[in-house]
Amino acid sequence: MKRLPHSPTQRIDTRHPLPFSYGGRLLEGYRGDTVATALFANGVRIFSRSLKYHRPRGLYSLDGESSNCLMEIDGLPNMRAEQVPLRGGMQVRPQNVVGSPERDLLGFLDAFHWAMPAGFYYRVFHKPYRLWPFFQTLIRRAAGAGTVNPSWEPGRYDELHFHADVCVVGGGPAGMQAARAAAQTGLRVVLLESRPWLGGFYDWRTVEHHGTPLYERGRHLARELESLSNVRVYTSCTATGLYGDNLVTAVQEGGPDDFFHQRYLEIRARAVVAATGCTERPLVFEHNERPGVMQPGCAHRLARTYGLLPGTAAVFSVGHDLGLEAAADLHDQGLHVACVADCRSDGQDPQRIAALEERNIPFLRGWVAARALGKKAVEAVVLSTTEGSATRTISCDVLAASAGLTPLTGLFSLARLPLSYDERTGYFLPASLPEGLYAAGRLVGYDDPASIELSGTAAGLRAAVHCGALDAPRADEALTELQDNHRVLRGSKLVLAPGAGARSFVCFDEDATVKHVRQSVRMGFDVPELAKRVTAIGTGPSQSGIPGHNLPLIMAHLRGESAGTLRPTTVRPPLKPTLLATYAGLHPDIHKKTPLHDVQERAGAVFRRVGVWKRARYFSSDPTCRDEILNVRNNVGILDGSTLGKFRIFGPDAEKALQRVYVGDMSRVPAGKLKYSAMCTEDGCLLDDGVATKLGENDYYFTTSTGRAGATVEWFRFHTRHEDWEYYLVNLTDSLASINLAGPKARDVLQQLTDADVSNDAFPFMGYREFRLKGLVPARVLRLGFVGELSYEIHIPSSMARTVWQWLLEAGRPLGIRPFGLEAQNVLRMEKGHVIIGQESEIRTTLIDLGLGFLWDRTKTWAKTVGAPALQFAESQEGRLKLVGFLVDGSRPPLDGSIVVDGSIRGHVCTCRYSPTLDKAIGLALVDDDLAALGSRLRIFEPGDPPEYFDARVVPTPFYDPEGQRMKC
Amino acid sequence: MSFTITCPICGKRDLYEFRFGGEERGARPDYENLTPQNWCDYVHLRTNRPGPQREWWFHRDGCGRWFTVWRDPMTNRETASSEATR
Repeated sequence: MKRLPHSPTQRIDTRHPLPFSYGGRLLEGYRGDTVATALFANGVRIFSRSLKYHRPRGLYSLDGESSNCLMEIDGLPNMRAEQVPLRGGMQVRPQNVVGSPERDLLGFLDAFHWAMPAGFYYRVFHKPYRLWPFFQTLIRRAAGAGTVNPSWEPGRYDELHFHADVCVVGGGPAGMQAARAAAQTGLRVVLLESRPWLGGFYDWRTVEHHGTPLYERGRHLARELESLSNVRVYTSCTATGLYGDNLVTAVQEGGPDDFFHQRYLEIRARAVVAATGCTERPLVFEHNERPGVMQPGCAHRLARTYGLLPGTAAVFSVGHDLGLEAAADLHDQGLHVACVADCRSDGQDPQRIAALEERNIPFLRGWVAARALGKKAVEAVVLSTTEGSATRTISCDVLAASAGLTPLTGLFSLARLPLSYDERTGYFLPASLPEGLYAAGRLVGYDDPASIELSGTAAGLRAAVHCGALDAPRADEALTELQDNHRVLRGSKLVLAPGAGARSFVCFDEDATVKHVRQSVRMGFDVPELAKRVTAIGTGPSQSGIPGHNLPLIMAHLRGESAGTLRPTTVRPPLKPTLLATYAGLHPDIHKKTPLHDVQERAGAVFRRVGVWKRARYFSSDPTCRDEILNVRNNVGILDGSTLGKFRIFGPDAEKALQRVYVGDMSRVPAGKLKYSAMCTEDGCLLDDGVATKLGENDYYFTTSTGRAGATVEWFRFHTRHEDWEYYLVNLTDSLASINLAGPKARDVLQQLTDADVSNDAFPFMGYREFRLKGLVPARVLRLGFVGELSYEIHIPSSMARTVWQWLLEAGRPLGIRPFGLEAQNVLRMEKGHVIIGQESEIRTTLIDLGLGFLWDRTKTWAKTVGAPALQFAESQEGRLKLVGFLVDGSRPPLDGSIVVDGSIRGHVCTCRYSPTLDKAIGLALVDDDLAALGSRLRIFEPGDPPEYFDARVVPTPFYDPEGQRMKC
Repeated sequence: MSFTITCPICGKRDLYEFRFGGEERGARPDYENLTPQNWCDYVHLRTNRPGPQREWWFHRDGCGRWFTVWRDPMTNRETASSEATR
C-alpha cells in the first residue's frame, strides 16, 4: 500500500525500510511504524479472531485498548501490535486462530453466539459436574490468547528507582505545560509519556491555533522541555501504579536504540500531576467491531502519523469535535468522506461544521451508526437518528465511530478516589483531589488548546506550591484565569445506538455484548462490579480499556435510571500489562568479596554464596574434600574467615549492653582471654554465637557469625532502646580480614611470623593476643578450636590480608600447608560436635535444645537478658527436639534435611557427612527427646527417586577428640 | 504497600530503607512476679488498634538509628514527628 506524500506530522522515515515476517510472509515497513501500522500498510485488515466467537477483528485503536491486535512477536505472546515499535527482522505471528485470521476454521462459532449467554462458563458446563473437565479442555483450546514459549530467550530488563519533586503523567500539551511551569520554579520534574514522543493530541493535528498548526506547537513545547536540565522526560513510558505518598510506578518500552527490552521505574515524587488526557468512548452498536470500524482518532493518526489512508470511502459517526476535525482533514488527505454523523444535537464548534460544509461533506446532526454491514469487513453502514426514528444506509469501507471522549482516570482509581458522574462533561471524575495530586487538561474536560495549556500551567504551579517552591498567590492567579475565562466542554451523553443488542460489543476482549449485560441485570447482577464478574467484561488483556466508562452508563440505561447512578469498576495496577520478566528485573548477583577472594580463586577455589558473601567452598574437584580435611587433621590448613562479624563496643554502658544481649555473664570476660557466648531471641531460641574479649574498661572486641554481622547493631540498639545507655558500636567486619590457621602444625607456622611467644603456656587455648606479624602487620590473634585442632584466628587489616596469606603459605610450605574451604570446615567442626547456627538450629531451637544451656547465666536477672525468661520456661518444657549425634550403618550419609521417621516424623538430619578422619558416616540431627537417649535407633528417610531409608544409632558427641586435647595442646 | 517514614536524622525516606520494630509496648518488665504467660504476652501480643499508634522503626539503610513515630496504619500516614533514641 502506497504511503501518503510526506507531511511534517508523520513519524515514519521512508528512507529506512525494515523487513519483517508475518505468519511466514516477508513484509516491509518503515522505521517509526508500529507492528500494527506496518501490517496495515501491507494490506492486513483482519488482525485476530475474538475470544469466544472467533469473529474477525481489525485495527480499532492505536493505544492498546483492546485485544484486537494481540500477536506473538519475536516469540513473546500477547504483545500489542499497535504499541510495539517495528524492528528489522521481527517475527510476527497471529494467535488464537486455527488457520489464519482471514480464514479461521473456528469462525463458525459466531453462528452459535446464542448458545453462549452471560456467565455460560459457570452455568452450562457444570451439569453434570463430571463433564466439566472435558469442557474445560475444549474451551481452553478454542478460547484464550497466545501460548507461552518455554524456551524463549529472555531479553534485558532494567529498573530505575529515583526521586523527583514533581512527577507529571502524560506528555500532551497540559502535561508539558505543567512540567515546564514546575521546572521554572527550580524543581526537579519527571515527565512520563506512554507514546514514543511528546505532544499528545497535538501531535498529528494541523488545525491552527493563534496562527501555528497544533503539531508544530506540540513539537515546539517538547523541544523547550527537552532543553531544561531539571526535567527528565521518559517516552514510551506508561504509569502503571500510584501508591501511598505519591509513589509512581511506570513501565518503559525499550526503543530500537535502547539497551533494555522493558524497564520498570519507581518514582517517589512530592507532587503528582495527572495529565493523562482522554481516549475515545467506544460507540456501541450492532457489529461495532467489524474490521473497518475504527476510532476517528485511529483513522486520523493512521494518515497523519503513519502516512496511511484508512480506506477509500469513509463514514464518520462521532460524538466530539476532534472527530469532525478528523473527517475534514482526512478528506484533504484523499479519503472520500461519504457522510459525518454526530450524535450530539448541538454544542459543536461552528468552525468545524463550516470546514465540513466547505468540503461538501454531508453532516447529520443527531445521527449515529446503528449497524455495520459486511461479513469480514465493513461494506456499508446503517445510520439512524439517535432516537431510531429514521435510518439510511451508506456504502463505505471505513467506519470511524466513537460516542465521545472518556477520561483516562486510572491514576485516580489507584489513588482510591471515588469517581462520580459529572453532568456537564459526562465523565466519571473524582469530586476532589487529595493534597499533592493535581489534574489538568482534557482529562478534566478542557477542550480547546488555550484552556488545556493553561490548566497544565495552573496544575504545575500548584504542584510547585505544594513542594514549597512557590507562593500560593502566584499559582492562584493562573487558576483564577482558568476558571474565569475557560469552560470545560459539554460532552456527548449518548449511551447506546438504537437497536444495540446481541452483536453490540461492550467488551471486545471477552466477546461480551449488550445482550449479556441485559442478561446480567436480569439475573440480579445489576451493578458493574457484579456484571463484570458474570459477563467477564473488563477482565480481558486490556482490562477496562474498551468497556471502561461505558459499562456503568449502559447498566444505568438498562435499569431505566439516569446516567451516573452507577460507578465504573475498580481499576487495579498495573494499568498496562507488564511482563513478569520486567518485575523480576535484572536481579544481578550482587555480593561481597573478601579481600582474599582473588588469591583463593587463583588457587582453584570453587565459590558459593553465603548470605551477602561469596565464600570458597572447596579447592578440588572432590566434593568430600577428603584431602583438605586430612591435611588439617595431620598438618595445617588455612581458611579465609573474613566474613565473620567483627565488632568493637565501648562507652560507659558497653558492658551493660553486652549483658543484655548475651546469655553469658559478660562481666567475667578477662583481658587476654576469650569468652564464648550466645545471643537468643525473646523466645530463647538461638540467634547467634561468637566470642568476646575485653580490650579495656568498658571496651570489648567480639565476633558474630557471618549471617548476623549485618543485623548486630540493630539488635543491640533495639534491645536497649528504652534505656538511655551510652555505648558505641563499630562494625569492623569489612575493615578486618580473618584467616584461620588450623592444624597440629599451626603453631610452627605462626611462630615464624612473630617474635611474640606463642607457646601453649604463653598463649593458651581461648587466649587473645595482639602482636605484629613480621614486625609490620598489626594482628589480633584468637586461639580457638572450631575445627577441633590447634588453631589461631588471625584478624588483620583487610588491606594486608593478601600479604599475610602469602606469608603463611610460604612459612607453612615445608609443613604441608594448604587452604581449605567451607565444606572441609563443615565436616571438621561436625566431627568435633560444634554447631553452626541455621544448620543445627532452626527458628524454634532453643539454646537448651542444642545442649548449650550451660552458656546461660541465670544469676544476672538484673540485666534482663534477652530470652532468659523464655529459657527458664523452656528448660522444663517437654516434647522439644534435641540435638543428637548419630552414626549411620553403612558409609553413605543421607542428605542434609532427610527426615527421621518412626511411623510419623520424629525429627530431621541437620548435617551428615562421611568422615574421612573416622572412616564413618556421622551426623547431627534434631529429634524428639524420647529418641535422644544414647543408643536409640533412628530410621532416616531420604526423599528422592527412589527414596531411600538409612539406619543410624545415637552416639555421644564430639565424635572426634572428646576430651579436646588436640585444640588445647 | 508503600509509604514514607520520617527519620529524625535523615528526614523523609522510602519505607524500603527501614525495618519495622513493632508498636511501642513499654520497657521490658522486671523479672519479679514474671509468669511465662505475661512474658509471652509482652513478647507477642499487640493491640492492633485501627488508629494512630506509636511505633518503632530502624533506619537500616541510613543512619542506623531506632526511633519512634506516630503513624496511623489505616492511612499509613505519620501523625506526629519522630523521636530518636540515643
